[in-house]
Amino acid sequence: MVELQETHKKFQKELSSGTVSLALLSILAQSKEPLYGYQIGKLVGAGDDEGVMVKQGAIYPVLRSLEGQGLLSSEREMSDSGPPRKYYQATETGQEALETWSQIWTETKTFVDNVLEGDYQ
Amino acid sequence: MRTADELIRIYIQDLKAALRGADKATIQDALADAEEHLRTALENAGADAGAEAETSAVQAIINEYGEAEEIAQAYKNWEVSLPPALASTPAARRVAATANGDNPAAKKYPGFFGVFADPKAWGGLVFMLISLVTGVLYFTWAVTGLSISLGLMILIFGVPIAIIFLLSFRGIAFLEGRLVEALLGERMPRRASFTDSSLSWKERLKILLTGKATWLSIIYMILMLPLGIIYFTVMVTLLAVSISFTATPIGAIVMMVKDIPFDIFSSGDIVWTLSDPAGFMLTLLIAALGFLIGTCTMHIARWVGKVHGKFAKALLVSD
Repeated sequence: MVELQETHKKFQKELSSGTVSLALLSILAQSKEPLYGYQIGKLVGAGDDEGVMVKQGAIYPVLRSLEGQGLLSSEREMSDSGPPRKYYQATETGQEALETWSQIWTETKTFVDNVLEGDYQ
Repeated sequence: MRTADELIRIYIQDLKAALRGADKATIQDALADAEEHLRTALENAGADAGAEAETSAVQAIINEYGEAEEIAQAYKNWEVSLPPALASTPAARRVAATANGDNPAAKKYPGFFGVFADPKAWGGLVFMLISLVTGVLYFTWAVTGLSISLGLMILIFGVPIAIIFLLSFRGIAFLEGRLVEALLGERMPRRASFTDSSLSWKERLKILLTGKATWLSIIYMILMLPLGIIYFTVMVTLLAVSISFTATPIGAIVMMVKDIPFDIFSSGDIVWTLSDPAGFMLTLLIAALGFLIGTCTMHIARWVGKVHGKFAKALLVSD
């Protein structure tokens, strides 16, 4: 049983590695103003524990990776209390990438749905 | 019962332990991310709650953030796919892509003359040339700061001045880190190192004074003067020699056009001259030598850049 749990976990991890990037890019592309990590984490992690795709802490490396690829830009701002916050925003390249990524997502979704419903040939 | 602050600090320690073996700069970034998130979350959880409620809130927040092991793994995974900061140009991105193992064949060093296409060699060259200026600035600032601070230490206002200087050294260390990453490609922290906001100013001062990072930064700033002088002198000499050697055929053409004989040796009455074709051939040889020296210079720049990157990381990035 424990081993099966591990398998489930591994599957979810593999599945989420791409979708989390897509979700984060989409959130930041839709947002009118730059967001910082905690706000993004709230948006991603909203809902009960079962529905959480990714731990809040795991979105930070993804954000940094997206930034490294030029899809996001960031700015550090001091906060009134506590450590300075890093605000993220989608770049123009990011907006363009999102369009392509959404397309890929839709295709993947349709394909997987069709297979799951036995609706393929 | 542990306080909320203690819980956060324990979590950060766990995360640090779990990240052991990862790139130093990644660790520093990961810890800064965690610190920022946990403290912001705690703030938003409601300041009016009592200490006990706060503690349970922190436990929930940490739970939502993820186990230290898991989060450390996430950073390690992404680190592999993270291109260096240098990768802002398409050419550099290709280099980064190959360096990440996308193309094992191209991973090998691109040949002796391929160094001219290597952004790291050019970055090293620029770094070595500007290091005279930055070295003089760092050295002057460090020595001025230290002597003013020590000199005024006997007076009451000497202490705040010393603190301001020490803080400025940390700031300069961070900026130099950005410069090193941009030019030399060595991964350096992308955030200034974090100071725990929950600590009192006395504790922060203690960290500033006893922290290895502050003093290592000062050593780096002082060493940058001699290093900068050596880097600059070596680079300018090598560049001047290689460029002038490479340009000799142009001189030869001018001499032939103006009908000036090739004197290769003249001392008093003894003058050895060469015929025009032989003289021109000789300059072509010199030009080839100059090009060779230039290529070696690029290799030296690349190598020095690499070594200096490691050196800067050792001194400027705190554990």
